[in-house]
Amino acid sequence: MWKIGNRLGGYDPDRFRHKIKLLFIIVSVALSLLVIRLWYLQVTKGGELRQRSENNSVRLRKIKPMRGLILDEGRRIIVDNQPSFDIIFVPNRTKDMRNVIDKIKGLYAERSLTFSSVSSPSSYVKPFVPVLLERNVSMEKLAVVETHALDLPGVMTEVTPVRQYLNGEMTAQIIGFTGEVSREELDRNSIDKLTAGDIVGKFGIEKFLDSHLRGISGAEQVEVNVAGKAIRSLGRIPATAGDNVVLTIDSALQEAAWSAMGDRGGAVAVLDPRNGAVLALVSSPSFDPNLFNGGISYDDWETLSNDPRHPMENRSISGQYPPGSTYKAVIAAAALEEGLITPETTFYCNGAFELGDRIFRCWQEKGHGNVNLHRAIVESCDVYFYNLGKLLGVDRIAAYARAFGLGAPLGIDLPREKGGLIPTKQWKLSRFRQSWQMGETISLAIGQGFNLVTPLQLANAYATLANGGTLYRPRLVKQLESSDGHVIKVYPPEKQGVLPVRPENIQIINQGLWGAVNERGGTGYILKRKEQDVCGKTGTAQVIGLPQDAKARKAKRVSVDFRDHALFVCFAPYGNPEIVVAVILENAGHGGSAAAPVARKVIDTYFARKQLTKTQPQVQEALEVRGITKP
Amino acid sequence: MIKLDRRLLLNFDWTLFILVLIISGIGLLNIYSAGFSLTDLRQTPFYVKQLQWILIGIVGMAFAFFIDYRFFGRHAYILYGISIILLLAVFAAGYETKGAQRWIFIGGFTLQPSELVKLTIILALARYFDRHQFDRGYHLTELFIPFLIVLVPFLFILRQPDLGTGLILLILFLSIVFYVGLDWKSLLIAAAGGLILIPIGWYFLRDYQRERILTFFSPERDPLGSGYHIIQSMIAVGSGGIFGKGFLKGSQTQLKFLPEQQTDFVFSVFAEEWGFLGGIVLLVMFFFLILWGLKIMTHSKDYLGALIALGITMLIFWEVFINIGMVLGILPVVGIPLPFLSYGGSSMVVLMTAVGLLMNISVRRFILQSS
Repeated sequence: MWKIGNRLGGYDPDRFRHKIKLLFIIVSVALSLLVIRLWYLQVTKGGELRQRSENNSVRLRKIKPMRGLILDEGRRIIVDNQPSFDIIFVPNRTKDMRNVIDKIKGLYAERSLTFSSVSSPSSYVKPFVPVLLERNVSMEKLAVVETHALDLPGVMTEVTPVRQYLNGEMTAQIIGFTGEVSREELDRNSIDKLTAGDIVGKFGIEKFLDSHLRGISGAEQVEVNVAGKAIRSLGRIPATAGDNVVLTIDSALQEAAWSAMGDRGGAVAVLDPRNGAVLALVSSPSFDPNLFNGGISYDDWETLSNDPRHPMENRSISGQYPPGSTYKAVIAAAALEEGLITPETTFYCNGAFELGDRIFRCWQEKGHGNVNLHRAIVESCDVYFYNLGKLLGVDRIAAYARAFGLGAPLGIDLPREKGGLIPTKQWKLSRFRQSWQMGETISLAIGQGFNLVTPLQLANAYATLANGGTLYRPRLVKQLESSDGHVIKVYPPEKQGVLPVRPENIQIINQGLWGAVNERGGTGYILKRKEQDVCGKTGTAQVIGLPQDAKARKAKRVSVDFRDHALFVCFAPYGNPEIVVAVILENAGHGGSAAAPVARKVIDTYFARKQLTKTQPQVQEALEVRGITKP
Repeated sequence: MIKLDRRLLLNFDWTLFILVLIISGIGLLNIYSAGFSLTDLRQTPFYVKQLQWILIGIVGMAFAFFIDYRFFGRHAYILYGISIILLLAVFAAGYETKGAQRWIFIGGFTLQPSELVKLTIILALARYFDRHQFDRGYHLTELFIPFLIVLVPFLFILRQPDLGTGLILLILFLSIVFYVGLDWKSLLIAAAGGLILIPIGWYFLRDYQRERILTFFSPERDPLGSGYHIIQSMIAVGSGGIFGKGFLKGSQTQLKFLPEQQTDFVFSVFAEEWGFLGGIVLLVMFFFLILWGLKIMTHSKDYLGALIALGITMLIFWEVFINIGMVLGILPVVGIPLPFLSYGGSSMVVLMTAVGLLMNISVRRFILQSS
């Protein structure tokens, strides 16, 4: 072959001469095989294959899966699917989209219908790539397009299932909504076999459990005619419907909380303290998730996203508020457990607490006199807790607050949960490069200052008191079921920790909370039912600074935005609690008068129904037997 | 290490350099066409990215050219080790696309270590056989270490799962063993062992890999999945005819009938638009490239250079043959890129670097002195 010269290190290429020849032959034969095959395909069968490609007769069409349903705790469907008809245009023989749209407009005009375009008609259309013209059209429009199919080359109708949110605004932030997959989402999870145009969850449960709800696309090979219409199916793999999601949400409680909120801003979180199940989660103001069905219009989106009240924010998990006096239960637990006080320890309240040259006032200007822990909780005496704060110090308070599940996200089955804020000396040093001041601890003791909690955290912290000290992860999802009703996965209660507080100390605090509702002088008297079974605590969180004199407090009422947040958190029945309710109303004033009635409505609804099912057990049974009806 | 010898430039292998540039240029045009109807205005088009990869590849080529290949030979095991660590990193930090874990992010780039392994295995095997030469054929026991060199990355790559690359590693190993020679008794035992291993290997394949092999034998099995790929690919190639449909005019391509049309099935785009004549021209260029590689091998001054040149040439040859064979429907669909034509950074940069090594061996046959 090639001339072989002198080599190094005793290397003798002559030894390999026959092998090189053999390699040459292998390469030549292999590449010749390719050439022969190429000849066969392109020349021998070229005409036939060209015909096939020109007819373009076989196409692969994606079959969209039915998205899973979402049901409430009582197996009532709260998110359903309904068919929606879209009008699409496939640029094939006619590429002039404007002309086609004008024709459709003309046809509509004859019947006084208006064409509502999805996007502005762009002059740049790619051949054979379908363009969506109009979304979710009425039956009337559909009939017009179908009957004039011959005059509208390339125009087709497509049926797609869209979401129907039966609870509307009431559960908008927890359920969320769906939308077309974005470019970023496509790039991020290509394992999920998402393709452009797929519908995915964008928010709330729809997003959190998207991989379960979405289902698996099927495919169909169809023969199409020159106009691009399918004439016959050559084989198909059916789509697999997504899994159904059963939530822990109790629609009756959700409804009660939602209607009691009215149009006021705020949130309600309702938990079952025995297992962490979320029974209701309301955030107000809200939005209509059905606006997103089949794509939200630009105007609607602008209105929604620019609303100064942020209706799309789920305040129950991402709204962060100072806990106000509801925090006193945490302080009391810390002081008792640390042995700094006994239930008998008293402090004298003359309406003010002095620290150096600063004066911290009690909400009761004339003072509470001598108070022990029980009276301090019942009457929410600030001075008493200022004293505890001073004894405890900020870092010990923070340690207990964290044990109550505050200061970090709880891990509920929803995206965008916030963790609130529990300050420590170290935190302030690294955040502000300033050392901690004792005065700040004093404010902290009544839930003011840097402290921030979410409504869900507040409910969950009280749930640990209610159940005697177990911290559960709040669960929104009860189970997943396949579309034919088989249970795929059950979400059991998840213990996240145990409160480092002895049962007798928890008992003392709970007695105080019972007193705050049921005893004379209690701040939460609105929850006093004839059964006397509710324990609760009011709270009033200052929005701006801490004006400590009465005049400044009154002046503050001027502007609505700077009015106090009203808080109320309670559980019932005393002794063996089944329900915890936390309410936060933004800028609504005092917790006892503003937030407590909302909690009352939820508690009443819960026990009224319990009473009903006790007397009529067959009703409950009948409801269970009915199950869900498949769409 | 780097000797700026003027003979380095005097004897520069222009033929190889220009040939590779022409093939890559054809690839670039082809990717422009393949991505034409897919273009999303918000993204950098494929052909721009591919051009970037070619340029980075030329840097890699220069790197591999200027440093004496015997330096790479001496440190072959270290390079091999690094590539194995990167491969392991895929499991730790890799991200998945299309059900397989193959890529890792390094400084904003995605790297497919399994491509790199192809080259480091060649170096490691060349080093081993250079150090262990016999006048007779190798016995099986003497092949244990080289076999291990291939087996470790092979198992990792199979787990990713990436059947195509795993297969290439095995074939590379067999090609090199064929060259260095095996004694006939060992050959018989190895052949028997291979036959036994087939059913065991079948057991370890992923479902989709089995499906692809079964589909190869009867495309009708799965008209919607991989069978669809083969059928559409053959229609695309065949409809090109003798002269092709012309640049950007391939209807199968532009209508997105073709799957993976800028990566593994890129040849069908080329064949549809440039026809039998274009296909022949491309195949002849590849043939010439491979022959040139064999020539460099034969002319190498030492055994190490010959073995490295052999490995690189065989890598290019098998990838070309298996990829085009798959597109033309005579070999099963396995994920192997077409050298210099398929879209993809790792493959391009590694192959360019490999060509740099070939040129390195080619030019140093004049420089190395008998000592």
